[in-house]
Amino acid sequence: MNFDLTEDQQVIADLAEQILAGQMSVDRLKVAERGAGWDPDVWAALAEANLVSLCLPEHLGGSGMGAIELALLAEAQGRNLAPVPLVPTVVTAMAVAEFADAGTHDELLASVVDGSILVTSALASPGVNDPLVPGVRATPTSDGGWRLEGTKPAVPYGAESAAVAVPAQLADGTSLVALVRTDAPGVTLDAERTTNHQPAASLTLDTEVAATDVLGTPGDEAAEVTRWLYEHTVAAMCSVQVGVAEGALAMTAAHVSDRQQFGRPLSAFQAVTQRAADAWITTEAMRVTSRNAAWRLGAGLDARRDVSVAAWWATDGGQKVVTACQHLHGGIGADVDYPVHRYFLWGVQNGTTLGAASAHLARLGGLLARS
Amino acid sequence: MHIGDTPQEAAFRAEARAWLEAHAALRDPAAPAPEMDLANHVGHCRTWQATLAEHGWAGITWPAAFGGRGGSAIQSAIFAEEQARFDVATGAFAVGIGMVGPTLIAHGTTEQQERFLGAMLRGEHIWCQLFSEPGAGSDLASVGTRAERTDGGWVVNGQKVWTSLGQFADWGILLARTDPSVPKHAGITYFCVDMTTPGIEVRPLTQITGVAHFNEVFLTDVFIPDDGVIGATGDGWSVARTTLLSERSFIGSGTGQWSVDDLIDTARRLGRNEDPVVRQGLAAAVCRARTLEYLGYRLRTAMSQGRMPGAEMYVMKLAYAKHWAATADTAMAILGAGGALGDFSPAAASHHVEGDDKWASMFLTQYAIRLGGGTDEVQRNIIGEQALGLPREPAADRGVPWKELALR
Repeated sequence: MNFDLTEDQQVIADLAEQILAGQMSVDRLKVAERGAGWDPDVWAALAEANLVSLCLPEHLGGSGMGAIELALLAEAQGRNLAPVPLVPTVVTAMAVAEFADAGTHDELLASVVDGSILVTSALASPGVNDPLVPGVRATPTSDGGWRLEGTKPAVPYGAESAAVAVPAQLADGTSLVALVRTDAPGVTLDAERTTNHQPAASLTLDTEVAATDVLGTPGDEAAEVTRWLYEHTVAAMCSVQVGVAEGALAMTAAHVSDRQQFGRPLSAFQAVTQRAADAWITTEAMRVTSRNAAWRLGAGLDARRDVSVAAWWATDGGQKVVTACQHLHGGIGADVDYPVHRYFLWGVQNGTTLGAASAHLARLGGLLARS
Repeated sequence: MHIGDTPQEAAFRAEARAWLEAHAALRDPAAPAPEMDLANHVGHCRTWQATLAEHGWAGITWPAAFGGRGGSAIQSAIFAEEQARFDVATGAFAVGIGMVGPTLIAHGTTEQQERFLGAMLRGEHIWCQLFSEPGAGSDLASVGTRAERTDGGWVVNGQKVWTSLGQFADWGILLARTDPSVPKHAGITYFCVDMTTPGIEVRPLTQITGVAHFNEVFLTDVFIPDDGVIGATGDGWSVARTTLLSERSFIGSGTGQWSVDDLIDTARRLGRNEDPVVRQGLAAAVCRARTLEYLGYRLRTAMSQGRMPGAEMYVMKLAYAKHWAATADTAMAILGAGGALGDFSPAAASHHVEGDDKWASMFLTQYAIRLGGGTDEVQRNIIGEQALGLPREPAADRGVPWKELALR
């Protein structure tokens, strides 16, 4: 038993924090919010430091790390509110490396590694919290490929990406996961704006992919690929949420220690201290559960329950923390010139992106209580 | 980072399990309540403690020089996890082995260590804690029980309360004021007192569960010899901090009397497992239980690396209390009217309530967990100061001699 990070992991966490804290500033965030919604220069800096490729296999130019190291990057992202496609691009690239036929997408992955292209996954479905419900139909073509038809909403960085991993349903009820090039004919991406200003797109497919663009094997086994994408994405988003909560709370602790009312700092009022303390407890609960989930994923263990436990804390707890931090800032928090509101927007958006807290509880309850 | 047993830890677990299987019976969660009153329970604790000591399983983290096993905090936790599955009684030694032992190891003289530690490990001495007073609860440092100098020792007068198992204790640890002329934290001395000393009167307090676990203790001209002082005279507060830290980590570590798995089994048995609201309650309970488990891992990791645990300890205590209360609500929702069943009159009170009655008992016990060892609110204030670095709350009594506080 050792719940500490290894020395290598600590080095990774420190490096990510150093780069992101050095790059991000309120002014940079404002530029991103008014423009593309994200910061390509920060992404380039992460690629330059070999952090984009950290979790990809060494033969593809990566460092061979896994989910726990991605969790550390994600915590740093959340803490610094860095608007970059860390989770969708890294998790999708990891899935391509894991499930695509060897050698078929090396060129694509090499461009991900050097930061020149992005990739993403289409895991959301309208009104349905089950990632295994695809929303896209797949039918075989005469040349051994697949025809894909349907739509997927809220694809993170969809219009900015060169390829999207898309789960699709076959006529027999089983599924496949296809890697769709976004410049292929019949692929439409309609840009959407999101609460925290990062880009997303609605994906409409009326296109064909080759057999080599399928990740894993079509049929029953493809559900495992979808589950892999979903669990790695949710676990990493939980870690982003840990960083968001931590950053919000640090800003809040500084504010309530500094601001004086009735002749003493706000934090000298127990009602303030106690709410902040509860937020800290929740943040630590989010950290231990998300790191545990990431560790299990990285170790190749069954992590279904662990991911749900982490996701409940990240959705329910994460939103409580950012709400408390917003509240403890009083009126100043409502002024968008003051930065704390960004943590609130990120916290709420992550909470919804992950699926509502009640959906995670229902999933976990189903795993636990079934006779 | 590695979650789960290392090969060495797995070997230790196997050794512990094999020994436990040879010396104790497995606990049966569905078994009917054994008629066992508190005195019987304490007797069972003594017997089991003696068995542990005889076979070298007592005081796992204590140095071998003091009769311990010289093992790690992780080994101690592994043994506790394994032991929780067996029908054995340990609660009566929570104060002695869990709190007094670490305090004596840190602050006691060689004579005190030789005199008390071995007897504690062998189950010969049960200890109680004479800390809280009617006028000193959350503000423990304001204790007013007086100890005054006399030939060869001290004479103590005052009243203590919330003394767990005081009616069975052989020895007590006592905080008393030896110098009222200095500010409150500075004038306290930490004593150990023989509970058979004339002038000590123990009156049990019956709780809402019907059990008289706690007591009031009245001290009238109680003589404590000089060798009963632990640490330096007037330095009792820093000695007490060692004890209190041990208490909070103990309360956060769980009791084994109930578990979320038990509750899931209960929901299945009563046919409530398909109710979506019940399922969400069970899932939330699992989320909280897992978090406590991982916080415990972090605590153990810190201890095994020789680091002083940080604010995790206060989180454990507080999170455990919240978990207890919320899970009790879920249990009541599962049991429905059955949750109201159970005889909690003093006459019927058994220490061990098993079967479905235990959920009602657990529900009723929640306030003891939330308030004992530092209230939820006190824990939050400590987290605010230590984890978030918030300025300390202004205190009206800081730097004021204790005897002047009473006049305010």
